[in-house]
Amino acid sequence: MLKSKLKGMSRELAVLAALILLIIVFSILDPVYLTPGNMVDIIKQGTINGILAIGITFAIISGGIDLSIGCTFAIVIVAVGQLTVVGVPPLVAIVLGGILGAIMGSINGILITKMNLQPFIATLGTMSVYRGLAYVFTGGWPVLGIPDNYRHVFTTKLFGDVPNSILVLFAIAIVTHIVLSKTRFGNYLYAVGGNEEAAKLSGVNVDKTKIIGYSICGACAAFAGMIMLANLGTGEPASGEGYELDAIAAAAVGGTRMAGGKGTILGTMLGALLLAALKIGMIVIGVQSFWQFVVTGIIIVIAAYFETIQDKLSAMIYKKQEKAAAAAEK
Amino acid sequence: MKNAVEFKNISKNFPGVRVLNNVNFAIQEGEVHALLGENGAGKSTLLNILHGLYTDYEGDVYLNGEKVHFKNPYDAIVNGKISKVHQETNVVKDLTVGQNITLGYEPKKGCFVDYKNLNDTVNNILQRLNCRFKAEDSAAFLSAGEMQMVAIAKALFHNSNVISLDEPTASLTTKETDALFKIIRELKANGMTVIYVSHRLEEIFQICDRATILRDGECITTLEIDKTDRDELIRNMVGRNVNAVASRMQESRVQEETVLEVKHLTRNKVFYDINFELKKGEILGFAGLVGSGRTDVMRTIFGADKKSSGHIYMGGKHVHIRNTQDALRHGIGLLPEERKTQGFIRYTTNTDNIALSCLEKFLKMGMVSNDMKLKNCEHFMKELNINPKIPDFQTQNMSGGNQQKVILAKWLSTNANILIFDEPTKGVDVAAKAEIYRLMEDIVASGKSVIVISSELPEIMGISDRIIVMCEGRKTAELLPDEFSEETILNYAMGGKKDAEIQA
Repeated sequence: MLKSKLKGMSRELAVLAALILLIIVFSILDPVYLTPGNMVDIIKQGTINGILAIGITFAIISGGIDLSIGCTFAIVIVAVGQLTVVGVPPLVAIVLGGILGAIMGSINGILITKMNLQPFIATLGTMSVYRGLAYVFTGGWPVLGIPDNYRHVFTTKLFGDVPNSILVLFAIAIVTHIVLSKTRFGNYLYAVGGNEEAAKLSGVNVDKTKIIGYSICGACAAFAGMIMLANLGTGEPASGEGYELDAIAAAAVGGTRMAGGKGTILGTMLGALLLAALKIGMIVIGVQSFWQFVVTGIIIVIAAYFETIQDKLSAMIYKKQEKAAAAAEK
Repeated sequence: MKNAVEFKNISKNFPGVRVLNNVNFAIQEGEVHALLGENGAGKSTLLNILHGLYTDYEGDVYLNGEKVHFKNPYDAIVNGKISKVHQETNVVKDLTVGQNITLGYEPKKGCFVDYKNLNDTVNNILQRLNCRFKAEDSAAFLSAGEMQMVAIAKALFHNSNVISLDEPTASLTTKETDALFKIIRELKANGMTVIYVSHRLEEIFQICDRATILRDGECITTLEIDKTDRDELIRNMVGRNVNAVASRMQESRVQEETVLEVKHLTRNKVFYDINFELKKGEILGFAGLVGSGRTDVMRTIFGADKKSSGHIYMGGKHVHIRNTQDALRHGIGLLPEERKTQGFIRYTTNTDNIALSCLEKFLKMGMVSNDMKLKNCEHFMKELNINPKIPDFQTQNMSGGNQQKVILAKWLSTNANILIFDEPTKGVDVAAKAEIYRLMEDIVASGKSVIVISSELPEIMGISDRIIVMCEGRKTAELLPDEFSEETILNYAMGGKKDAEIQA
């Protein structure tokens, strides 16, 4: 049973192995890397990208993509920033921010399902609309003077050196993992991404499933934004630019199939941590920052190539299994 | 008369099946030669061999007395001067007509395409064909008939001597068909050899000189069209050995109660005014040629396509099925024809594929229980004898028959009491076929009802309690077992309207 479970997670194990290998290599190059403080830094670095990547994993599993998350992120930052500035209690502002993100995500979902738009184009459009709205909302200026009571929600350290934002990351990961693996919606999402026509012909409500998927994606972007807002203390309408690409990279490294139907939260989390560990590691050993882009890009390409090899291998293994089964029958 | 094409001892195997067995016949130069046979008789395979699509076959093909073995379709077109007009013509909509016709062989001036030369050459050909469009026109706005002309023009551009038309009139209007026939007669007058595949026998009598009939991969006979009639052609197409026929092992389970009634169901431009009843415990067959609208009727009943008008009643009550969820709720299940693209989810295990349509049954405190899914899967693997019996196995890696059983298990897991099988034995080996027939009998024995679409006449006659025949989107006959015969069904399926009126 354990063996078969592990076999199903071969991709996650491979990413985990790569992560451990990376930590070992950097630790040898510079022992500072292995200190607990640095480990927390890695996770901190990975928090925002991790939450965004979890969100986009839902969109990708459904067979689509969401390019607008960086802009949803920005809108939530300025909106929640403004709410807290005018004195709305932090927790109320956070709930409203989450709802706002979910609504913006569901707009993407509705465009994609009801208007039958390509996810890439639909979210390319909303990406620009949301970014524009964030600027319009603040007149181009950042929202200043975020009250400390809001910032403390995410920055307080309840356990040792670990800020609450990291706890939020893990809480979101656990909840979304359960949603994806244990609910009907999660099962349907994989089915829709794996074969939309077959899912439809199995009585699955394809549109509803996709819209919920994009709402979760938007809500995750909102939470990432609210953490950013707490960390920086200002609501910058230009923030989050290009974050969607980092999120896609983390999901891809974690084994999410870009064509849909396959991917896990654990994989995406490990992917985000791997990219963060790489970035911090290169800073620690003093690699020129330009090279960091090059290395990150190479890692993404290797991960994608690994995916295609893995597909071929598993097809070969299955064929062998099938032959063996057929032989056993005779 | 010289032979333009000659087939000598042609045989071809697909994994597990012999689709052509020792085919011998010749096509004379300058004749229009019909290739006839039921679905699956081997016509398309033979054409694909002739046109270089299949290179791996036994026997020899002679072209103008010379032995040829084309490496690919382009080799056949360019070196063999032999072209095929496909059932679905391939036109690149973003190019002009001229670019389409010369694609890959554009006249050049230096390293640039010589468009003046190109358009002049093409316009000459189009003029010969009496086409109203020009080489410079965009291909995006061509009608089905015009696309057919583009394909024929392409054959002329390559100076083809032999041209095959595979169901050329399937998507043409009557007027377009007449125009096409005029062109064919002109080509023939100019010495062109035409191979003509069609299910419409009237056309064969209008346009063809001789007809070769294939059945189950064998060449039955070649007949002169002047000296034969419709009956003789059909008789030669269907006559087969009786052993291969599917038959019922249990007695009929048809009960009085009507579980499904369809009235005046129409989906514009696809099918019209379909009426039928389905009884409890009945296996109702839907016969007809590929493209007659059977699948579309079923998809519409199942809510996968929208109806234009008409009503559906279940158990006497008017029901509204707007989407597949509604169908599922009303207890209708569909096993689609294209298993790979429509039947199951890729990268997904048998357990999950079987559980997909009834996840609400496997909830434990609001969460989907993997154990319950697994138990359900194991239950059906045993009950339906699904092999290999590995719940974790990905469905896409199983054999066709077992995939079909996984899809069946999915519907049996739900409360569906009407199961629609669309070509359930397509691509399934003989042993699995027999098993699927037995399963269908078990299903009706348990008080459920089955609708089965099949293009294999012996199959549908063997298992159905009643057969509805469709032709070109309309119901042409409803037959009871004592009226079942391949000749009758084929006659209605090919639009034998006269007889239908007499019997109705």
